[in-house]
This record gives sequence, structure tokens and C-alpha cells, in this order.
Amino acid sequence: MALLTYDDVTISLDGGRKRRANLTKARIRWVIAALVLVFAVVSGRLIQLGATVSDSAIEGVARDVITATRPTLLDRNGLEMAVDIRVPSLFAEPRRIVDVEEAVAKLRTVLPDLDEDWLRKRLTGDKGFVWVKRELTPAIKEKIFQLGVPGLDFVTESKRFYPSGQEAAHILGAVNIDNQGTMGIEKHMDDEDLALLQSVGLARGNALKPVDLAIDLRVQHVLYEQLVDSLSRYKAIAAAGVMMDVQTGEILALASLPDFDPNDPSTLFMDYNGVKNQRFNRITSGIYELGSTFKTVTMAGALDSGRVKITDQYDARFGVRFGRFTIDDFHGKHRVLSVPEIYKYSSNIGTIKVMQQMGKDEFRSFLSRIGFDKSVPFELPEMRQPKVPAKFSEIVAATSSFGHGLSISPLHMVRAVAAFVNDGKMVPPTLYKRSPEEARKLYDPVISSQTSQQVRYLMRLNALEGSGSRMNKYANGYRAGGKTGTAEKVVGKTYSANKTLAVFSSAFPLDNPRYAMVILVDEPQNENPQSGHTAGWNAGEITGRIVQRVAPMLGISPDFSEVLDTELVPAALR
Amino acid sequence: MIKAINAVLFCTSLAGVVGVYALKYSVEDIAADKAALERKIDIQQGELSLLQADWSYLNQPAHVAPIVARHQEALNLLPTSQEQFGRIDALPMRPAAPDTAALDALLSALDSGIDPIEQLIEAN
Repeated sequence: MALLTYDDVTISLDGGRKRRANLTKARIRWVIAALVLVFAVVSGRLIQLGATVSDSAIEGVARDVITATRPTLLDRNGLEMAVDIRVPSLFAEPRRIVDVEEAVAKLRTVLPDLDEDWLRKRLTGDKGFVWVKRELTPAIKEKIFQLGVPGLDFVTESKRFYPSGQEAAHILGAVNIDNQGTMGIEKHMDDEDLALLQSVGLARGNALKPVDLAIDLRVQHVLYEQLVDSLSRYKAIAAAGVMMDVQTGEILALASLPDFDPNDPSTLFMDYNGVKNQRFNRITSGIYELGSTFKTVTMAGALDSGRVKITDQYDARFGVRFGRFTIDDFHGKHRVLSVPEIYKYSSNIGTIKVMQQMGKDEFRSFLSRIGFDKSVPFELPEMRQPKVPAKFSEIVAATSSFGHGLSISPLHMVRAVAAFVNDGKMVPPTLYKRSPEEARKLYDPVISSQTSQQVRYLMRLNALEGSGSRMNKYANGYRAGGKTGTAEKVVGKTYSANKTLAVFSSAFPLDNPRYAMVILVDEPQNENPQSGHTAGWNAGEITGRIVQRVAPMLGISPDFSEVLDTELVPAALR
Repeated sequence: MIKAINAVLFCTSLAGVVGVYALKYSVEDIAADKAALERKIDIQQGELSLLQADWSYLNQPAHVAPIVARHQEALNLLPTSQEQFGRIDALPMRPAAPDTAALDALLSALDSGIDPIEQLIEAN
């Protein structure tokens, strides 16, 4: 530091030591400044890198959602019903395409079904990403690679594939191109939790456990095959069937024709024989007047009320009059009939008398007890409310007792029949695997064990001596039994005699009931001039053929010993 | 003394620099390998998913049934009928001891030149 000046010579008062110290301090300051600068640059770059948002969205949809997978669906024996396959999808980056005309011409050599103008418009512009065609095969991917067009690339997408084709269409449903369920069990899974998993990006890779369904694909195949056969054999316009395990409520097979191809969901909206909207699921979202097969329900209710005994007799000599209407029998015996005879000959008069003995209000409340006035709790989203009048008048109660004037779905019927033969314990149907222990917790007793015994006897009796004998001819040895129903369809405002709905609700083996089944054939014709068009000839025979094929698969061995049938007869009738 | 320390520090830092660079490049190599492997796994998983789909398609009753129908005549195939099922307990029990008398009779008949089984066949 200069304090004094003498003859232009600055006299420095600082010692050499202090000068050096000052110099060092200055140097340290410079070094610190340099370091701060360097670190500022480094952290600035870090912030810059961190703030960059990499745009992984594809046309507004996150890449994860597009590549999201769905769990494999297995049948009860572990056979795949729905799998994910990884397929390439072609996209373009228009801003990187040099020669649009060349790209269009070259692409159309491999994908000739693409519209030229559409493709040109798609590839022109400054966009970073446009889909060209989704879900291609690896072979086509290879061909497009060899074209060597810049600006084209592939994304691997998951595509749902249903190896069973149309056979389980209504159970599985379908997914849209973004792999979201739109129908059937696929939609149900999405509504439950899969959509949530996918939205948080968890449903990727092989992380998803396969889902076990209750369906047995072998049984499903037999049911489907028989229903397809019935459409040509009886020239029916539609057919449907469902089979349920009476102890666990598991649905083993469910099919409805006409159907659609889940691998190409647009087929659902195709006309069938020139008629629109025919491809819906008739088991869950079709409601029908099920006709005489409903007599099983009336009998079960009446016998369980205690007012009607299996040994009772009713006068069925004359039709029942309601004002202007007289209800008569189709296969009229016109004599005094016992309760088993009313069931066996399917007497409308007798059934009305049985219902009247029980009381119409009690009959109506029995229908509520077996859940006929609410839709069945079930996984499939395709559901329709049943139509059962809230209060029965005399005539509505009378027609209801033989299945007219109220409409329920076949799923209602199969659940009720299953409950009647399963010691009266009703269990909600399910498409997922369920153990007997889990099922037992859900049991809802609707009729007594003793009534269940009597209903089983009636069902078996009808197979041995009544309208189910054509069924029993095929299913001989498997102790099957059931009730036919040939319901006249309403055409315009009146019931039509030649347009009918044939139904057969059954259960087997009745000595130890395991399975219940409902088969439905819409507007069947005579198979040949010698045969009839009532349900025993079509729905009954289909049931018989199905039981004959599936009983060995389900581990039920044939037994011809008559003692099994005589043991079913209630003690009061022996 | 200070010079020696400086020399050591210089050498260490030089070695450190070389080490860091070597590590950086080896990490880059490994990352590239990993990416290549991941791509390969991805492709193979894609192929596997197709093969699995193929396999389950080939195993479907819907696929097997037409094959059965096609060869029904040649192989004389029919659905099993109820009468074709048997039970273990329907089989007769094995005799407690071999029927020696019958066997002796058969052998003596054969010795004398008569074959009862051949006679049975001829009788039919």
C-alpha cells in the first residue's frame, strides 16, 4: 500500500510478507470464482436435462397404454381361451419422409388395401407420428423393412387373440384396438380392476397372472357343436344353451347362436339372415316366456309350501275358465290326475290347480325368493331385467304357473333348477373358478331338502315316462331328467301356434345331482315328417346328445341299474 | 518433500482419470449389450407369444374336432356309447386256485389229437 511519495518514488510500507499474502488471497478468490462458474454451468446443464420431457405419447395415447397387456384367460383345465400376442404396428414420421409419392407407391405394393389418397394425406405434413396400419404380421413387417422407405417404423403392440374362435364368443366378449374390453368377461375384468392396473402402468410384461375361468372348453365345444347342428337340423332361427355346476355355481358352458367372432368384433353387428341385432347373448340378455318348463318352478314352490303334497290328486277333466278365456291342456288327459301325472303329462289345468292350492300371492313371493324378479348377479355385463308382474291377478297367476305372462332369462331358469336339485340351496352362477367351500358360504336355501328330493323324482319321472323320454333315449344311463317347454311366441298381439320357443331344462345325474342345463331352440321346425316340433323333439334331443357326450368327460359313469331310479321315488309313493 | 507428494498426487489423479474413462467406456459397452439383449428378448417374447397362441389354437377342441371328423371313416371312430364303459368291480374275480382238472382234461385231449378250441372255432 502506498502511503508516502517522495521524489516520485513510492515508498511502500507493506512488508514483503504481507504483499505475498495479499497476492495469495486474490488468487484464491479467482479460483473460487472460476469453480463457482464451472459448477453453475454444470448444474444449469443438469436442470436443462431434467426439464426435458421426452414425448413418448403416441397420438395422444401414452405408449404404455398401447403396449399394455391383458391376462391370459384359461379354462378350468388350463387350456388357453384368450392370449396376448405381440404384433408389429406400422407408424410413419411424416417430417422425415423425403418423397411422399415414392413412399405411397412402395407401401401400396405390400399393403394394397390402403387407400391411395388417404395414405398420401397421412404421410404429408410436419407431424412427428401417425399410424399407418396397426396389428400387422411379422411377415409383412419384414417386407416393409425391405422397402427401405425412410420415416417408417414399427411399435410392438399387444393384440388379443382368441384361439377358440367363435365357440366361446359370448363368454369372452371382445376388446377394442387399444386392448380395452368392450364386452363379455373382458369388459368385466376391466370394470373390476384391470383398467386401473393399466392406467398406472403395471399391466406390462408378464406381470399379470393368468385368470382361471370356470368354463370347460370340451363341454363348451360339445354344446356349441350341438347348437350349430340344431340350427340346420330343425331349421331354427336361433339356439342357446347353458350348463352349470349345481354345487358351486360355476358355468361350465354357455353359448348362444347366432354369434360373432371375438377376433373380429365388428361381426357382432352383422345382419343374420337379413335380420338386424340377432347376435346378442340369449342366455343373459334374452328374456323369454319359458312355457311348460316353468312347471318345475311351480311344483317346487307348491310342494315346498306344504299345502300341496306329492300324493294329492287334482281334477283336470275340464278347462279352467277366466271370464272369456278357457285354459285347456295340450296333451289333454281330461281325467283326475295325481301330482306326478300333472307334471308328466304337462297338464296346464292341473298346474293351475296346484298353484291355486298354494295361493297366488305365495306363488308370487316364491318367485321373488328364487330371484326371478331381479337380474341374476353374474359377471357378464350384457344383462336384461326380467319382466315379472309385481302383483299377480288370478289369470296372470294362472298363466304364470305354466310359464306364460312373465319373461325371465334362461340364466334365471338354470340357477333355479340347479337350486331345486342341489338340496334346495341356491348359489349365484359365476364364470370364475370357485371351490365347493367358497360356494357353500354363498348358499341360499330356497326350498327344503325334502322338496328337492321330490322335484328330482318328478324330473326323472318325466325323462322315463313323459316328454323327456326322447332326451333319455340318448342320455340313457346318465340318470338325466328334466322338463320340456314349448312356448308359443307372441307375434303381433296374439300367441302364434306355429312359431314356438322350445326349452328343455334338465339336471343330471339325478341320484347325485352335479349339473343343470337349459337348452333353448327358437322357432324349430320338424326334423322330418314323422317327428314333431314340440320341445322334446328338438331341445330335448339336443340335451340328450350333450349329456351323452359330456358325462364321461365330467367323470360320470353310466349306470343302468333300476335301483337308482326306484330310490328317487318318495317313500309316500312307493 | 512437497515435490514428492505432488508427484504421487499427480500420478494418482492420472491413474484416476484413466480408470474413470475405462469405466465409462466399459459401462457404455455393457449398456449397448444390455440394449441388444433386451431387443432380442423382446423379439423372442413376441415370437414366443405367437408360438404359444399357435399351440393353444392347435389344442382347441374346435380345431381337433374337424380333424377327427375327417378321419372318422378311415379310423372307424365313433363317440363312446354308454355300453362301452365298464367297471372294475364288474370283472369276475380271479379263481382262488388254478382249475387243474380242466387243464389236465385239455392237455389229455390235445395229446389224443383233439383240439377243443379248434372245434369251437370250426363250429362257429
